[in-house]
Amino acid sequence: MQWTVILKKELTENWRNFKWIWVPIVFILISIMDPISTYYMPIIIESAGGLPEGTIIDIPMPNPSEAMMMSFSQLNIIGVLILTVISMGTISGEIKSGVYELVLAKPVKYTNYVTAKFFSYWLLMIVSLFLGLLASWYYINLLFGDLAFSQLIVAALFYACWLTLLIAIVILYNTWFKSPGLIAFLSIITVIILSVMTNIFSHVLGWSPAKITEYIAIYLHTGDLDTEIWFSSLIALLVSLSCLLFAIVSLRNKAID
Amino acid sequence: MELVSVKDLTKTYSKHNVVDHVGFDLHPGKCVALLGPNGAGKTTTLRMLAGFIQPTSGTILFNEDTLSKDFRKYVGYLPQHPSFYPWMSGEEFLHYAGQLAGLTKHEVSDRSEKLLQLVHLTDAGKKRIGKYSGGMKQRLGIAQALIHQPKLIMLDEPVSSLDPIGRREVLNLIRELKKDATVLFSTHILNDAEEVSEEILLMNDGKLIEQGPISEIRGMQQTVTIRLSFEKEPKFIHEKLKEIDSVYQVTEENGVFDVTVHDLNAARKAIFERVQEEGWELSLFEITSGTLEDIFMKAVNK
Repeated sequence: MQWTVILKKELTENWRNFKWIWVPIVFILISIMDPISTYYMPIIIESAGGLPEGTIIDIPMPNPSEAMMMSFSQLNIIGVLILTVISMGTISGEIKSGVYELVLAKPVKYTNYVTAKFFSYWLLMIVSLFLGLLASWYYINLLFGDLAFSQLIVAALFYACWLTLLIAIVILYNTWFKSPGLIAFLSIITVIILSVMTNIFSHVLGWSPAKITEYIAIYLHTGDLDTEIWFSSLIALLVSLSCLLFAIVSLRNKAID
Repeated sequence: MELVSVKDLTKTYSKHNVVDHVGFDLHPGKCVALLGPNGAGKTTTLRMLAGFIQPTSGTILFNEDTLSKDFRKYVGYLPQHPSFYPWMSGEEFLHYAGQLAGLTKHEVSDRSEKLLQLVHLTDAGKKRIGKYSGGMKQRLGIAQALIHQPKLIMLDEPVSSLDPIGRREVLNLIRELKKDATVLFSTHILNDAEEVSEEILLMNDGKLIEQGPISEIRGMQQTVTIRLSFEKEPKFIHEKLKEIDSVYQVTEENGVFDVTVHDLNAARKAIFERVQEEGWELSLFEITSGTLEDIFMKAVNK
């Protein structure tokens, strides 16, 4: 099937340029970084020295759910940045180099082309996210106390909706602009605007996908899933779907020069 | 029966007709050259025929299939500057292209082996495309265009970026190709067109200005040009040449005279009579018109 042919090519490409190796590793590192460094902070400060004799270091230890949120907030910045950068040229780069013309000369369906590309990055995102959160969960259980594995999985799934939207936005911009740098810049700006707007109008934008992280924090703390988290995740998935549809349409109407 | 029938094909970019009401038929087993200066609309025409840009108006009909609008499966296309995935090997790219066109894994490995042989890339098939030379890429481009056994093969300026050896190889390849399919290739090098194609389409400024078999187009020419030059330029040569009956126009550039005549034989006889009578020291007598270049220049300057 044509879709699997394109997907296989994408997976091979990202395997050969080592994205399948470094992206999961970086996700693991950024997920465990904050919880571990927080735990060892007293020891680090002590061994660094320079403190007057008799100083008592008393940093309150976060509870497991707070430690988990440290991972999420790192992913929300560095993770988003990495996902944007690795996918910023997936279509625009092929158009720019000209290989798109060869691909298109074959009876390739635009739907297959766009969705297979999206799915290949979505897979990379899911795998990296789960590996990162799994590593973080392991250390949190070791250092801070118990956090149910089921809670981790549920939180990861909801968070994945937010990152799904991010990838869909990058794919859409890929069909609008030629320069990968511009695509990355605009994607990040879009996410920032979305987050800022959500913060400013939070009383009316309860369903905003930018709120997912906030709801995850509540969920990890209380263990209860509000309707709002379902709602904002659903919105994230619907908007992702429309981004992909727009991407297909705009690619179909694109003039190549 | 024609393979492709193109009617009133027009493509407009920002109010400018890049391709302007172009119509022609392509017949099976023929090699057709699409000629024209740069910017004449050749590439746009080819891209519309390849099915991945939509005409503003007009129709393209493949006799195979009048229903579906997607005729890309009948067409093999090589762009002017083909570019590939540098991390793939030549063989892998052929597999990818073939599978995109709907071939099964088994079919595609069979076919790509044959094609690599045809374009002399068997040894380089396993090498990464990033390490290929320009000529090798061009040949791989031809192979990928042929992978799904298209009825119509379109090559956009296939030889203009190649060195003489590469050019020779590709022209020989085109001769091979027209045994199984219709070949349409664009070029601005007239010799190449004359060498391998039977028919030409001549475009300028978006319009199709001449079309047909090369021999026919040659025969349509009304006048012939004779080029003359002399060791020592005779006096009143201009006037004396013009006195000849069938001479229609005389132009001079750096001592070389281009004499346009209606009747070649009569004019030739008259000129040689003058050479004898007047003792002109003739150093060059050449019949220059009727070549494709001549037709091209005339049509483009019209």
